[in-house]
Amino acid sequence: MTDRLAFRRTALNIAAPLFVAVAFVGLWYVLSVTVYADKAFLLPGPVAVIKAMHRDFGTILAATLVTFKEAFSGYAAATLLGISAAALMSQSRLLERSFYPYAVLMQTVPVVAVAPLIVLWFGYGETSVIIVSAIISLFPIINNTLLGLQSASSSLVELFAMHKAGRLTAFRKLRLPGAVPNIIAGLRISAGLSVVGAIVGEFLIGSGNSRGGLGVQIIFAQGRMDTPLLFAEVIFATFLGFGFFIAVSLVGRLLIGHWHESAR
Amino acid sequence: MMPGIPLQERGEKAAAAAASAPRRGRGGAVSIALSGVSKRFDDIVALEPVDLTIKGGSFLAIVGPSGCGKSTLLRIIAGLIAPSSGALTLPGHAVGAFVFQEAALLPWRNVQANAELVMELENIPKAERVKRARHALAQVGLEGFERRYPHQLSGGMKMRLSLARAMALRPDFLLLDEPLAAVDELTRDQLQDELLALCRSSGVTAVLVTHNVYEAVYLADQVVVMSARPGRVIDRFDVPFGDDRAPELRSSPEFVSLAAAVSASLRKGRVDD
Ligand SMILES: Nc1ncnc2c1ncn2[C@@H]1O[C@H](COP(=O)(O)OP(=O)(O)O)[C@@H](O)[C@H]1O
Ligand SMILES: [Mg+2]
Repeated sequence: MTDRLAFRRTALNIAAPLFVAVAFVGLWYVLSVTVYADKAFLLPGPVAVIKAMHRDFGTILAATLVTFKEAFSGYAAATLLGISAAALMSQSRLLERSFYPYAVLMQTVPVVAVAPLIVLWFGYGETSVIIVSAIISLFPIINNTLLGLQSASSSLVELFAMHKAGRLTAFRKLRLPGAVPNIIAGLRISAGLSVVGAIVGEFLIGSGNSRGGLGVQIIFAQGRMDTPLLFAEVIFATFLGFGFFIAVSLVGRLLIGHWHESAR
Repeated sequence: MMPGIPLQERGEKAAAAAASAPRRGRGGAVSIALSGVSKRFDDIVALEPVDLTIKGGSFLAIVGPSGCGKSTLLRIIAGLIAPSSGALTLPGHAVGAFVFQEAALLPWRNVQANAELVMELENIPKAERVKRARHALAQVGLEGFERRYPHQLSGGMKMRLSLARAMALRPDFLLLDEPLAAVDELTRDQLQDELLALCRSSGVTAVLVTHNVYEAVYLADQVVVMSARPGRVIDRFDVPFGDDRAPELRSSPEFVSLAAAVSASLRKGRVDD
């Protein structure tokens, strides 16, 4: 691949989404000064949102940090738990058959419905929010990891068996490294979900921190009919999830970029 | 996960043979004998009883239609599966290596690390592994490609790497399951010559499964033809071309007529089905 071609591809990767962003903000602006000119509390213009961002920057940033901490903790717990659970299930048909259905149930259980139970057990506060975030992030990690661990080629499995490699060796040298692309795919999906989980958790539970995270602040802004602030906070929440996703993608590229297509 | 099937079927005979058939490098080559070896998977007969003797250091080629049990036979010799009946006689200490049709490389390891894989599984010390892998890679013409990754290699190079990985172990016997079926014809001819050279220089006992009659006759000392499922041996041909074979052999009348005879036998086996 020539440098010029690579440059053009990068330029396109940046220019195309940027164009969409500009078009979107333009449309938003036009709507806000025409249809919604008299109803700014429904759709404030971009300028009003930026002003709100500027005015309450300290509050928004503090809230973002709280949500970040909760989402990150939930995500880390889900990663640890998810990969371990999948590793165990990959080692035993019986374990897999016994527990996989419940992993699926974990995903279909309406978190909103169990939130009161979580509060009952863990109280109003950070811990409960982290648990909600972890529950929402868990399934894609388990599922993708398991898929990856089970996808070793049969020839390689036979090669390892022929040279008397034990379970652990086959796991370390064949199954686990081969599963890394799938694990990263799962982690990428869950990156955004963990932020969603933290915010939903704050909606349902509140937040241990006195001023709360973005979820709590969004409810406050709604109560005060401060739509520009609400918009500003939604934008921060979105970029928090996006930043998570980018960070995980970068780590993934570092880990598997030298051999796997998906990371190039 | 494949359970590690013990090599018990190598049996008591194997223990006796071990004494009389020393390992390559310390003298003689390892010979392999199958007597009445058969295999059924539940109600499917994959392989009718087969008798075969593969002389130490010689090259046996097996040709037969798809599904006749060729891979099953190789797996039995490899100790990956146990035969349903019969006995495999192989010195207990004999080291085997397997080469698959799809090169079966680890995509996250570079060429050097892939070449070291089976030695690593056999607990050969690192320094020794590095040395042997380098040597084997040079033998198959992959010198200078050590830091490449499999996705950067052509099909032929992947197969060379797979061969190097097997040969670096210095196996007593080499099992090849249609290793050249997926490479283009020009590369295949070249790889056949390399394979031949590797086998001759190492004195390894080789068993090759192939669909290609010309490949079988070019490489082997003995060609065995199997019938369609359930597989059994229907013909055996001795190949009288000796150790030094050059590409010109392919167009000699003796070669062509032997290949024709093997083809005819193969067709007969198909008609039987
Ligand atoms: N693990 C297995 N379980 C059930 N049937 C099998 C298994 N392995 C092979 N067979 C069957 O045994 C027969 C011979 O297979 P194989 O040895 O792979 O044939 P070939 O390599 O000659 O194409 C086929 O009918 C195949 O479906
Ligand atoms: Mg086969």
